[in-house]
Amino acid sequence: MSDPATLAGTGRRARTRRWMASWRNRDTRAAYLFILPWLVGFALLTAGPMIASFVLSFTNYDGIGPTKNVGFDNYRQLFDDPSVATSMMNTLVFTALRVPLSMALALALAMLLLRVTRGSGFFRTVFYLPVMTPSVAVGILFLLLFNGNVGVINRALEFVGITGPSWTTDGSWVKPGLVLTTLWALGGTVVIYLAALKNVPQELYEASELDGAGRWTSFVNVTLPQISGALFFTLIVNTIASLQTFTEAYTAFYGTANTQTYSSDAALFYVVYLFQQAFQFMHMGYASALSWLLFLVILVITLVQARLSKRFVYYEGEAR
Amino acid sequence: MSRTVAERDTVAASRRTSGPIARTLRLLALLGATVIFVYPFFWLISASLKPSESVFDNSLLPSDWQFENYREIWTAVPLGTWVLNSVTVTLAAAVAVTISSALVAFGFAYFRFPGRNLLFGLVIATMMLPAVVLMVPQYLVWNSLHLASSQVPLWAPNLFGSAFYIFLLRQFFLGLPRELFDAARIDGANYWTMFYRIAVPLCRPALVVTFVFEVQAAWTDLIRPLIYLRDPDLFTVPRGLKAVLDQFGEGGELRWEIVCAASVVVTVPMIVVFLICQRQFTSGIATTGRKG
Amino acid sequence: MAAPPRRRFRRSASLAAASTGLLTLAACGGISFADDSDTFVTMGFGAGDALGTVRLERATEAVAPLDVQVNEGQFDEQQFLSAVAADDPPSVVRMDRALIGGYAARGALMPLTECVDQQGIDLDEYRPGAIDEATLDGTLYGLPDSYDNRVLLVNREVVAEATGSDTVDTSDWAGLMDFAESLQTRDGARLTRIGFDPKIPEFFPLWVEANGGQLISEDGRTARLDSPEVVEALEYAVSLIDAQGGWGRFKALRDSFDQFGANNQIARDQVGAYPMEDWYVNVLAGTSPDVDLGTQPFLDREGEPINYVSGLSWAIPKGSPHIDEACQFIATMTSAESWVEAARAKAEEVRATGAPYTGDYTGNREADRIIENEIWEPTGNDAFDEATRQLYAVQDDSFSVPANAAGTEFRKAWQSAVNRVLSGDQEPEEALRQAQDLAQTALDIANQGEE
Repeated sequence: MSDPATLAGTGRRARTRRWMASWRNRDTRAAYLFILPWLVGFALLTAGPMIASFVLSFTNYDGIGPTKNVGFDNYRQLFDDPSVATSMMNTLVFTALRVPLSMALALALAMLLLRVTRGSGFFRTVFYLPVMTPSVAVGILFLLLFNGNVGVINRALEFVGITGPSWTTDGSWVKPGLVLTTLWALGGTVVIYLAALKNVPQELYEASELDGAGRWTSFVNVTLPQISGALFFTLIVNTIASLQTFTEAYTAFYGTANTQTYSSDAALFYVVYLFQQAFQFMHMGYASALSWLLFLVILVITLVQARLSKRFVYYEGEAR
Repeated sequence: MSRTVAERDTVAASRRTSGPIARTLRLLALLGATVIFVYPFFWLISASLKPSESVFDNSLLPSDWQFENYREIWTAVPLGTWVLNSVTVTLAAAVAVTISSALVAFGFAYFRFPGRNLLFGLVIATMMLPAVVLMVPQYLVWNSLHLASSQVPLWAPNLFGSAFYIFLLRQFFLGLPRELFDAARIDGANYWTMFYRIAVPLCRPALVVTFVFEVQAAWTDLIRPLIYLRDPDLFTVPRGLKAVLDQFGEGGELRWEIVCAASVVVTVPMIVVFLICQRQFTSGIATTGRKG
Repeated sequence: MAAPPRRRFRRSASLAAASTGLLTLAACGGISFADDSDTFVTMGFGAGDALGTVRLERATEAVAPLDVQVNEGQFDEQQFLSAVAADDPPSVVRMDRALIGGYAARGALMPLTECVDQQGIDLDEYRPGAIDEATLDGTLYGLPDSYDNRVLLVNREVVAEATGSDTVDTSDWAGLMDFAESLQTRDGARLTRIGFDPKIPEFFPLWVEANGGQLISEDGRTARLDSPEVVEALEYAVSLIDAQGGWGRFKALRDSFDQFGANNQIARDQVGAYPMEDWYVNVLAGTSPDVDLGTQPFLDREGEPINYVSGLSWAIPKGSPHIDEACQFIATMTSAESWVEAARAKAEEVRATGAPYTGDYTGNREADRIIENEIWEPTGNDAFDEATRQLYAVQDDSFSVPANAAGTEFRKAWQSAVNRVLSGDQEPEEALRQAQDLAQTALDIANQGEE
C-alpha cells in the first residue's frame, strides 16, 4: 500500500516535476474526475464562502442598505454586546451538562442491553426512535410536557410529593429542562457503545477475573480502556452537536414575535443568537464575525479534546 | 469472522449467567427506560386526538376521540403540499449525496494520485467544520445566485458530496480486495465499470446507510428551510410545523391538539423509515463509532 | 463489456460533469418565482372574520387584474428582511407599527409621500397616534390597519367578593398590591388565580407612562430606559408578580388559560383584573357573553386615564413588484368606506350567532365615528355595552411609544430586560442599564446609517 511517490526523491524540483508528469498519467486524470464534485463543492460552498464571510466581517453588509468598511467594529462589538457572552455561556453550560450525562446514560443503557439475550432488538429500536423525531417536534414536546403548571412531568413529580419547577419559564430551570429533553435522543450513542462493548475481547475479562478483580475494577480496567475509542468519538460528536444546538430552543422560545416577547435569555444559545443577527436583523457583517468566533471556539475545544484523547484513548491494533 | 463471533458469544453467555434477581432487575430497568422513551410518542398521539380543553389532562387515552383534528389541520394548512415538498427535497438530497459521495469516495479509495493526502486531509477537516459556521456564508452564495428564496439550497449542496459520507464510503471501498479490480482491469474494464460494476454492488449496504442517513437529516432539518423558504407553498414539513406552531400554539390560537396532530404527521414518516431500515441505521451508526 | 479507452474516459467525465450540471438545471426548476408579474403577494395579513374578508375583497378589486395571494400568518421579521435582501419582497406587508421606524431607517420600506399624493389620501382621517408611530423623521411609511386600545378588564364577581367594590384603582400602587395579594388563590404551591396581572413584558410601556416616565424621547433618538421612572415602574410591576407566586407559577398559569374558549380565564375566575387589548372584549362577547365583566380605563398614578395604543400598519417594501397597486391596495384597505362596509358585515355575522357586537376600533377616525354611531347599538348586555362605551371613550387618552430608527432592536432591548428581571437573572436597575446601552447603541448606529 506504500505510495511510490513518497519513497522517491525529496527535492522540491523533483516533486514539481513528478507532479507535472503525473498529469500525463491516465490514473491521475481519472481520479480527479471522480473527486471533481467534491472539489467544486469545496471551492463554491466551503472555501469561497468562508473567505467571503471573513471579508464581510469587516463590513456592515446587510443586503439592503449601502455596504461600507467598518474595520474591526464587528469584532469589538463581540466584546461589548452582552448577548454574545450570555449566549456563549448558555451554550457552554448546556454542553457541559448534556454531553457527560448523555454519555453516562447511554453507556449504562448499552451495558444493560449487552447482557440481554432475548428482546435486545426491541429495546434497541425503542431507544433509537427518538433520534428519528424531528427536532421541531421535540421542541414542541418540551413546551407541552414540561409546562410548569399542567405538564405531565410536574404532575408526575407532584404524585411523588415533589413540587416541580417552572421548567419553561424559570431562567435557572430552562437549560436543565432542555438538557433532559435532548437526552431523549441519545439512542445513537447507545448503539455505538453497544457495538464497541461487543468487540471487547472476552479473554480480557477472564484474565481480569483471574486476577481477582471485581465487577467495578473490570469495568474501569478493561471496559473503559477498550471502548475508549468509541467514548472519544461520541465525546467529540456530541460536543460539536451541543455547541450548535438551535432547533429545540428556537422552536420553543424564539420562533415568533409573540414567543420572543416572553423569552428571557436563558435559552438564548449561541446559534440562536447568530441566527437572529443574521436572518432576523440581517446584520450579515456582524453575523459573519459571530460565525468566526464560534468557529474558533469549536476548533479550540476539539483540539483540546483530541490532545486529551492521545493520552487516554487506547487504539486496538494500532499499527501506524 | 462469523465463527469468532459465535465463539465469543458462547463465552460471553457463560460469563453472563448471573442470578435471576440480577436478570429481573436488569429487565425492569430496561422496561422503565422503555416507558420513558416511548411515553412522549403516546402522549403526542393521544393529545392529537383530544378536544382542545383536555390536551393537558394527561390521560393516556382520549376520553373523546377527535379524529376531526387531523381533518382540520389538513384543511387549515397545505399539509399535503408540504409533505410532497419534503418528499421531493428529501429524495433529491439523499440521491444526490449518495451518488456524489460514492464517486468521490471511490476516487480517494482506488487511486493514488498526487495531492491525494492533502485533499483527503481537507475532507476530514471539513467534516470537523461545524455546519452552522457555514450558515451565513452559504446564504450569501445562494443569495448572489438569486436562489435564496427557493428549495434549491436544501438539496443542491449534496451534489458535491458530503465529507462525512465520503469518509464513511471510502472506508468501505478500501475494504474491497484490490485483486478484484486488478483482475477486472486485465479484462479491459475501465474505471467507470470498476466503480459501477464492482465497487457499487459490493458496497451496497454502505450506500444504503448513506441514503437513509441523509433521508433522516433532510427530512428533519429546520434551519435551512427557515432561512430559504418564504412561500408557504414551498415549505417542507418541519418548516410547516413551525408555522402551525406560530398559528395554533403559544401566542396564537392556543389549540395545542392541532399542533400535536401536525407533529404526528411530521414524525410518523421517519418512524416508518426507521422501522423498515432499522438494520441500516444501527449498523451505520455502529460503524461510524468504530471507524471514528 | 469493455469500452475502448477513449470512450471510457468520456463516460466517467460526463458523469462527473452531469452531477455538477444538475445544479444549473435545478436553478431553472424547483423555484417559485412568486413575483410572477401578475401575482400580488401580501405578507403579515390573514383575513379572518368579515372585518378582514370584506376589506380584502374591496382591495383585491382595486388592484385588479392582479391576482392577490395572501400569505397568511403573523408578520415574521426574519422572513420579511431576508425577502427584501433576496430581492424577492412581497407587494405589501402588514406589520407592528413599532417595527416600522427600524425598517424605514434601513431602507427596507418605501416612503408613502408619493402614494399619499397620488391617491389623495386624507391623513387627517386617521388617528394621529397611529400616523405618528409610522412616521420617521417626518416621513410617513405606513397606514394603520388596527388600533389596539388597552383598558382594564375586571372580573366583577371575584373582585366584589374580595373587596366589596367592583372597581379597581390602579392609581394607588400600594393599594393595588394589597388587591393583588388578597385576590390570588393557590392550591399548594400552584397558583390557581391571578389577583392582578400587570401584563408585562408586553404592557410595560403602560406602567412607565403611568409612572410619568418615557422609554424613549419624543424624537425617537434618545433611549430613556435607565431613567428613575422606568426603573421604578419595572420594580413595581415585577413586585406585583412576585407577590403572586413569582414569574414561573404566574406564567405557567397564564399559559394554561383557555383564552379563546368558553372556559377562559374570566369565566373560570382564574384572574381578578388586568389591563388588556380591546379585541379580547370581542372574543369574550363571542365565547362567554354571560361573564360579569367590568371595564374601566387604566389610571396613571395621578388618577388620569391613559390608553396605551399599538397596532398594525400596512407598508410597501423596498423592491415591491407592484408599487402603484400596493398604494391602491393599502389606501382601499384602510379607507373609511371599506371599514364601515366591513364592520357592517361583521356586525351582522356576530348578531346572527346571538352574541353582542362590541364595536370595532380601526385607527380611522371617520370609520370609528360611523361604526360607533350607526352600526354599533346597545345590545342589552350591560357588561359589554359598557365595555364598548369605555373603549370609544378612551381613544382620546391614547399614547404610543414614539417611532424610532432602531425598531425591533429597541423593543427587544427593553423586553429582554423585563424578562431578565422576571426570570430572576438580574435586578431591575442593572437590567435596564444594560438595555439602555444596547438600545442607545442600536439607535446611534441606525440613525448614522440614514445620513
